[in-house]
Amino acid sequence: MKNIKRAFRIHRIFMAQEFKRMMEYKGDFIVGIISFFLVQLSNLLFLWIIFSRIPNLMGWTVNEVVFIYGLSLIPKGIDHFYFDNLWSIGFFIVRKGDFDKYLTRPVNTLFHVLTEKIQIDALGELIMGVALVCVSVQGISAQWDVFRILAMILMIPFITLIFTGIKTITASVAFWTKRSGNVIYMFYMVSDFAKYPAAIYNRFVRNVITYIIPFALTSYYPALFILRGENPLFNLGMPILASVVLMGAGIFVWHRGLRAYESAGS
Amino acid sequence: MKRKLKIYLPFVNAGIQEVATYRINWIFFMLGNALACFVSYFIWSAVYESGGGGSMSGFTMPQMVVYIVLMFLTGTVIASDAAYVVGEEIRDGTIAMRLIKPVSYNATFLFQELGNKLPTEIAIAAPMIIAVEIIRTVLSGEVQFSALSLVLYLFSCVLAYLINFYFNICFGFIAFVIKYLWGANMMKNAVIGFLSGTVIPLSFLPGALEKVFLFLPFSSLNYTPVMIYMGKYSGARLWYYIGLQAFWALFFFVLSKLLWKASVKRLTVQGG
Repeated sequence: MKNIKRAFRIHRIFMAQEFKRMMEYKGDFIVGIISFFLVQLSNLLFLWIIFSRIPNLMGWTVNEVVFIYGLSLIPKGIDHFYFDNLWSIGFFIVRKGDFDKYLTRPVNTLFHVLTEKIQIDALGELIMGVALVCVSVQGISAQWDVFRILAMILMIPFITLIFTGIKTITASVAFWTKRSGNVIYMFYMVSDFAKYPAAIYNRFVRNVITYIIPFALTSYYPALFILRGENPLFNLGMPILASVVLMGAGIFVWHRGLRAYESAGS
Repeated sequence: MKRKLKIYLPFVNAGIQEVATYRINWIFFMLGNALACFVSYFIWSAVYESGGGGSMSGFTMPQMVVYIVLMFLTGTVIASDAAYVVGEEIRDGTIAMRLIKPVSYNATFLFQELGNKLPTEIAIAAPMIIAVEIIRTVLSGEVQFSALSLVLYLFSCVLAYLINFYFNICFGFIAFVIKYLWGANMMKNAVIGFLSGTVIPLSFLPGALEKVFLFLPFSSLNYTPVMIYMGKYSGARLWYYIGLQAFWALFFFVLSKLLWKASVKRLTVQGG
């Protein structure tokens, strides 16, 4: 209990520090948000153009597709907002030997890395995601009950951990290879598959994104339950299971990597 | 000419060595980008299936597959990091080191980047062109390879690269205004991704918008070479688009020189 309290206090101090830094560079903040906003906008234009030519996409209406797309942005945005620092581990912190800093402090290294920074750019994704979900549900005639809405909200923290877990595992590779930024990038790009209903992929791809690099669990499967009430045990249970397994694996690999870490020269 | 080569060849060499150091990283990066291709492939096949097959805006499904692969190839071949490199040098002041050397600022970048790109381009272009031809032949049932298209495509790619390079040099000067280069680049890439037809072929856009986009410099980047390779442009139209590419390349070349002159006057470098 005392530890948890301490962790929260440390987190608060880091956050305060980050906000001070951000206020120093207000322009960056706007540029960052707009840039991620534009990326989403370009994807939406794409959806809008193709849906002007087809009635539905393999049985999914435009609103449902937008819902899945928007839902996928929310946990992705939260992970991006809080845990963006993992990219720096992969790209340069380990390579330059800057990781030593974390080893000298009386806090768990992974906790320190995760809580040290926030990335305000992520609001571009997050705001867009929430907006798309809100707009698209109005055109979907699903049976809304308290349980479904609650499920949607409660799933989000777990789904976020799917992103964070995969990033932690891939970032840890840097402890052995010095640099793993592009390994994170490659796995992270798989999350692109989560933008659309998994029904459009062939069986092989679908199995990969369900069981191996499970980004389909981040929005398609929860949406199957939220929109259509299908199979709650699998559609909600699997994402929760995956998030626990991936984050657990992330913590394990990270600490294994620490043993292999040797500070860089120069 | 010989003197020039002697000056700039070391830059090419430096670029080659740079990329050799991070080879494995590059492979992962390319794999990541290739994944986006697969996503496009699946979404388009779902679109064609839902739309009842046939042709959409001048593209059949097999042509769309070729389009996706060629877009990926062209995007890789003409990619330029110049905006980031220039911006970074302006921000940290290393640009001062370029000022004291008796070489052209832009040209040193150009040659260094060429060195960076040449090994990767050779490694990726040949196999992908062969792959495209195999895909085309299998999907359509007849050989469609045209040596002339290939040559014109490569020529068009060179022009597209020059446009991209000089455009990026110009864009790099934005570092005088925006310090957050990563964000600025992200913004640029999002907009160009759409305007250059990477996200969706421009012929899918409403007529008037398509006309505007076709004239803007960004369609000269990826779209024109790909359309040429696919044999969609011929005769006068072909030469019009190649001419347009040449125009934009020249335009950004001149603009980059002007911006360089103007910004050297504004440049203040803090002590290091």
